[in-house]
Amino acid sequence: MKAIEIKGLEKTFTSNFLLKKYKVLKDINISIEKGEIYGFLGPNGAGKTTTIKCMLGLISFDSGESFIYGKDSKSIEGREKIGFLPEHPYFYDYLTAKELLFFSGMLFSIPIKKVMNKVKYLLELVGLEGKEDLKLKKFSKGMIQRLGFAQTLINDPEIIILDEPFSGLDPIGRKELRDLIISLKKSGKTIFFSSHILQDMEMIVDTVGIILEGKTIKQGKLSDLISHSVQHYEVVFRGVDESLLKSNNIGFELKDNNYITKSKDFEKVNHIIEFIIMNHGKIISVTPFKMTLEDIFLEEINR
Amino acid sequence: MKSKPFIFIIVSLILAGVFQYDYDLHTNYFDEKNIFVTLPKGKTLEILSFGFKNFVADMIFIWSIQFYSNYNLNNRFEYIEDIYNIITDLNPRYRAPYYVGSWIMALELNNYKMAIRLLQKASKNLKDDWDFDFESGYYAYKYLKDYKLAEKYYKKAAEKPGAPSFVKRWQAHTIYMEDNLTYALKMWLEIKENTKNKLEKNSALNHLYQIKFEIDKKNLEEKIKLFEQRFRRKPVNLNELKRKGIINVIPKDFKGEDYIYDFKTGKIKAKKVFQWKKFY
Amino acid sequence: MKIRAIALNTFKEATRNKIYYLLIFFGIFFVLSSKLVTLLTIGDHVKVLKDLGLASINFFSVLIAIFTGIDLVYKEIERKTIYNILSKPISRKCFIIGKFFGLALTLFVALISMVVMFFLFMLLFSGELDVRILVYFILLYFELLIITSISLLFSSISTPILSSVFTISLYLIGHVIWTFNEFKDKIVNPIIKIISYILYYTLPNLEKFNIKNSIVMNINIDISMILSSICYAIFYIAALLIFTILIFNKREFQ
Repeated sequence: MKAIEIKGLEKTFTSNFLLKKYKVLKDINISIEKGEIYGFLGPNGAGKTTTIKCMLGLISFDSGESFIYGKDSKSIEGREKIGFLPEHPYFYDYLTAKELLFFSGMLFSIPIKKVMNKVKYLLELVGLEGKEDLKLKKFSKGMIQRLGFAQTLINDPEIIILDEPFSGLDPIGRKELRDLIISLKKSGKTIFFSSHILQDMEMIVDTVGIILEGKTIKQGKLSDLISHSVQHYEVVFRGVDESLLKSNNIGFELKDNNYITKSKDFEKVNHIIEFIIMNHGKIISVTPFKMTLEDIFLEEINR
Repeated sequence: MKSKPFIFIIVSLILAGVFQYDYDLHTNYFDEKNIFVTLPKGKTLEILSFGFKNFVADMIFIWSIQFYSNYNLNNRFEYIEDIYNIITDLNPRYRAPYYVGSWIMALELNNYKMAIRLLQKASKNLKDDWDFDFESGYYAYKYLKDYKLAEKYYKKAAEKPGAPSFVKRWQAHTIYMEDNLTYALKMWLEIKENTKNKLEKNSALNHLYQIKFEIDKKNLEEKIKLFEQRFRRKPVNLNELKRKGIINVIPKDFKGEDYIYDFKTGKIKAKKVFQWKKFY
Repeated sequence: MKIRAIALNTFKEATRNKIYYLLIFFGIFFVLSSKLVTLLTIGDHVKVLKDLGLASINFFSVLIAIFTGIDLVYKEIERKTIYNILSKPISRKCFIIGKFFGLALTLFVALISMVVMFFLFMLLFSGELDVRILVYFILLYFELLIITSISLLFSSISTPILSSVFTISLYLIGHVIWTFNEFKDKIVNPIIKIISYILYYTLPNLEKFNIKNSIVMNINIDISMILSSICYAIFYIAALLIFTILIFNKREFQ
């Protein structure tokens, strides 16, 4: 059974005053396996947040289906095993960190004693040790985000859904979050997050879904998407005469006293390497340039 | 330096206060009779008080006490009946406004008819209270000198539960003042019979004496006149009336003693005199 | 369990709302100022005190009922704290019911505080306690629950300003609509008559909870009428809550 399955989701918004209809989601299809990290990628306004909200029942959708472990995600049972962190989490100012976690736990009907045991552990996990009695009024934005993450884990969920979790984090925060997500995956959880920042995603996801203007245009394992295409190879070398290179039709650039030559053809690259060695040149590096996620993404956009 | 804004605040307030004082000197707030006219009457005000009618009634009543005790204001009585009607319409069973209102109307405005109207409204709304009718009777008796009206009110009061005994005596007395002597006699006899109080009994006896005297006096003096007509002279004594057949029995006073006959004037006097009519 | 969580959380939030404290303060202030008023009046001081006390508790508790209810759901939606709740396995129905009980608790605490102060003051001033006043406060509490259900309803569908206008209007209508009782029977036009009847029975009819006059003027209170009023309140509140839940179920949170 798939962890999350969304088929053919459609949603039209009506602007109240002008009765204008605006189709935000045209055809969303997402399929997430158990225990994997799924990245939901798309530019701003593509419909990522809307999709997540539809999935969680915060917004109704016009047609399509949405299942979590085979149960309708809009139903209450469908949400038992989820942890959700919205994009700009905001909690009740007047509560302390501990009280917020108690409150969240109560919403899952988790007995308070159990929550009490978890509070310390969770706060430590997200880097907020010792802050359990601090009022949320005094938390910084980053701290709120961490606390939000702790709150997401209160019910030991099997699926964790994060809406733009990396936005607003500094580089250290992002690293910590990436590590956290990976460790969660190791303990068998499924993680689904959306982002428009590619670098973070590339580093940790197993599967990618790309959304553009309300449609999921591509979905697949990251390794599959990328391994298809090695864009080119780059050879950095020195010690070969320029005229020689020219006469052998080897294009090059000069950079920091080194020559750089590029070629798409693997055969040709081997050829060039042989040539350099034969001519007593020094090979400094041979680097295959794969398509980055960015490239894949931009390619899809341009279609 | 930080105190600068505070100084400005205080100065501005003082200046504003000066202008307020000046305004107050030149205005008579109570000239604005509009206040009274715009107060809605009766049920409208009840509806508009949105469930707070007791409170509104209290507030208007308290205001009225302050207002009507303000002797500097002339013409302050122009709407007094309306005001007290408004208060008592909002809360018909609240006693204080009826008392205070009627006192002001009677004692300060000297409009006894108005006071009686208010008191009768009280009597209607507070059916078991005797004192509103009693006071109405008193005003009618003393100031309007309308004894029939007074009797009506005293009678009403006497019939109410808990009415003290003197109410009936007042009723009887007003009947006497109306010159309805036989009825008065009857009432006083009732009182005399029904009372256990010594003082009251004495009082009743005095009244009975006086009333009997007046009845007998009228009767005897009529007979004397008749005698005079017939015999061209006044009778020598009362017995002569009997001898000449003008009268069958010579009445005695209530104590059983003889009346005094004055030969010269032809008038009858009694041994004891109670002069209520003179004083009242 | 979940309802209790939301109720307690709502109670915490409401009692932190500054309006709440201000109003309790003014409740105190007003009861004390009755002392001043008794100096100015002639006649039964205790009666005037009772009137003032009851009127001010009535007035201020109604304000609390209206203004704490109005913010509640609106704030959650505005600040998006509602995402944290509705994304969890809790139905929207539980959310609304939890909010209602939180408000009921808030009102209860507010009213009890004012009642205790009032009784203490009466005891000190007049040395006597009219326990019948408690009956009024019980009825007042049910009236407050109706008012707060109305403000909760509007809070789920519109902004605080509009909500307060509507709720206050319905409160005032509630205290005036009794005048229509006879009037509606005299209407000739059948369509207007039907409309009037419908309006008369669906709009809140709140004057029945106002037994201040009977209490203060020592008129007899009919227990069966009181029970009938309470039943009216229970069913009317149920209708309001169900309606609120229905509307809230359709609400989308963009």
